Amino acid sequence: MSRLRRREALWFYLFASPWIIGFVVFLLGPMIASIYISLTDWDSFTPPKWVGLDNYTRLLTDDPVFWKALWNTFYYAAISVPLGLVIGLWLANLLNKGVRLRKLFRTLIYLPTLVPLVATAMIFKMVLAPSGPVNDGLGLFGIPGPSWLLEAVWVKPALILLSVWGAGAATVLLLAAMKGIPRELYEAAEVDGAGPVRQFWSITIPQLTPIIFFNLIMGLIGAFQVFSQVYILTKPVGGPDNASQMMVPLLFNEAFSFYHMGYASAISWLLFAVILVFTLIAFRTARRWVFYETEVK
Amino acid sequence: MAIDKTGLSRRGFLGMGVAAGVITLTACGSDSDKPSGSGSTAADLVMTVWGGENDKTTYQQRIDLLVSKFPELKVKLQLIPGDSYAQKVQTMIAGGKGPDIMQVAESVNVYASKNQLLPLDELAGKAGVDVEKRFGAIGKIYSYQDKLYAIPDRSGAMITYYNKTMFDAKGIKAPSADWTWDDALAAFKELTIPGKQWGYGGGGWWAQWWSFVYQNGGKIIDDAGKPAVATDEVIEALQWTGDLVFKHGVVPTKKDYANMGADVGGDGAFANGKVAVNTNGFWNINGLLKSKISWDIAPLWRGKEQAVTAFGSGLAVSRTAKSPDAALKAIDFLTSPEAQQKIIASGQDVPANAEVQKSEAFLKPSWMTKPVNMNVFAESSAFIYRAPFVPAWNEMQKAFDDGLADFWLGKKDARSSLTAIQQRLESIIKPAG
Repeated sequence: MSRLRRREALWFYLFASPWIIGFVVFLLGPMIASIYISLTDWDSFTPPKWVGLDNYTRLLTDDPVFWKALWNTFYYAAISVPLGLVIGLWLANLLNKGVRLRKLFRTLIYLPTLVPLVATAMIFKMVLAPSGPVNDGLGLFGIPGPSWLLEAVWVKPALILLSVWGAGAATVLLLAAMKGIPRELYEAAEVDGAGPVRQFWSITIPQLTPIIFFNLIMGLIGAFQVFSQVYILTKPVGGPDNASQMMVPLLFNEAFSFYHMGYASAISWLLFAVILVFTLIAFRTARRWVFYETEVK
Repeated sequence: MAIDKTGLSRRGFLGMGVAAGVITLTACGSDSDKPSGSGSTAADLVMTVWGGENDKTTYQQRIDLLVSKFPELKVKLQLIPGDSYAQKVQTMIAGGKGPDIMQVAESVNVYASKNQLLPLDELAGKAGVDVEKRFGAIGKIYSYQDKLYAIPDRSGAMITYYNKTMFDAKGIKAPSADWTWDDALAAFKELTIPGKQWGYGGGGWWAQWWSFVYQNGGKIIDDAGKPAVATDEVIEALQWTGDLVFKHGVVPTKKDYANMGADVGGDGAFANGKVAVNTNGFWNINGLLKSKISWDIAPLWRGKEQAVTAFGSGLAVSRTAKSPDAALKAIDFLTSPEAQQKIIASGQDVPANAEVQKSEAFLKPSWMTKPVNMNVFAESSAFIYRAPFVPAWNEMQKAFDDGLADFWLGKKDARSSLTAIQQRLESIIKPAG
């Protein structure tokens, strides 16, 4: 290696070192430690006791709450992520038309994302009260509204409602991508006789797939790690009777309320595995439906 | 280009996944970075307490008094907001920087059972502190396996708040310690106007319905240390509490409460004049002084026996304390009449010191703007029952929360709920020894 290249390499490592050190100290180190902890029985005070795979077998075979939480998390992710995408796409498409006051609408749609989650959740508690505005609205159509947050069946849909409230974040990204689609594609399609619906499905959607894909991955990861909404909206956390218990609140409880650090670490690794699997599936299938303009197939 | 793009996003997603995996540890690590005083001498003590502004001032005043008396003791107060206290102390200890003196309450035995606190019997004996003389019945409330692990500091029974206007309007005599369950129910019925006003705020919190359990001769944990919640006495008491909501309609349902606003419970409803009676601790007094309603307090009514939950907290010495003797000396002074006066002066809580509870300063505090019968606390302290502070306290509470969710919605009866909870408790609580 020449001196110049060596020096260049040195500079490279020097500039990259904050990130490398941060990664090793704050990510890799704790990760390795948590693998070890997940194989022990540890209350965080007394020395950990090695138990092998005991925590994992207990979680998978002998803990009904874990399966309930896993199912709840799937339920939440499976509905809130696609729903958020569809609504985001719909809003973006509306905003992309030359409507009046577009800038105002755009701001309004993005605004919920800027409001702190705690504040939003407090408002939702009132909105979703048994005689709150939502049920009053349903009442106008003769539908008797449920006691959203108090009933096992309705508490998850209530959490999904709250997640959809934040669809504005996806909308802004999708809208920006829509603006970037070359006009001539639409002009050419119009000359060929394609109507607006055909244009939407054959031009807009394919051009947006990278952004949709990005939102899907981020949404999946976010949904699987849902915590604050559950923590603020439900009382006791995850209630009633664990009907809204999700993976991260569950592991938080085990670690910081029940002092089962080993068990909680095992949960976090299982959650990691679940997210990994779903993200991998998304990436595998992405080859079939995500379209990059510069890509040659 | 295309390859680059996939490569990058794959790495990106890996990073995100990794972040998901270590959420426990990052949450844990980021919390434990506060050094607790450097250059410490033997008597440089760190004391952790929970609470808000008023608590901070009151503790600090007591510590200032201590330091002016014993200049060789240096105490650094660390106030942690209530809901993150346990986590914070946990990470402090796990990080090897535990406090010397720590405030503890119901979850005291989480620490005692895990060998994190010093047994205080010997130290207290050496310092001449007689807890039973100083604090009365609650002197040994923070014990584990016959050893004392914390010295009571603040303590007060649960009391009955009642709306004087509503009682006068119906010509009902004020609640008293002699009221039976039937008397209470009869009064609640009188005071209820369906859909508008309720007789009682409800007994859904453990401190409330457990009082009724012990009044009925039941026990949550029996003398052998085994859970005993599926017994007739417990079932009957819980069913009575539940019937107030669904059979008699004298307590607002969860639905009714949710309609009153976010996080409104018995306290809020009482302050707004929606319920006539509410049972809770001392801390509501301060807020109610500003309320427009006319109210007073009384001791809790009785069942077959008299029994009531006590609230409060104690001060414990951690196993890692640099100087246990100095720590105990500090606690000794903080729980003495002189220092406990400060708790009264600021209206923070009921001081645990029995002598101070009966003092004129407590019965007629300077900040009191309404005629409130403060003698109720001393009166109630005679029948405080000893609540089971098991090491798995938090898990036990979760088992009740989960198992009673349907009960408090009126969808399940007390017997089947408690039978299921008993099973779960048996796997959580193993009798000591």
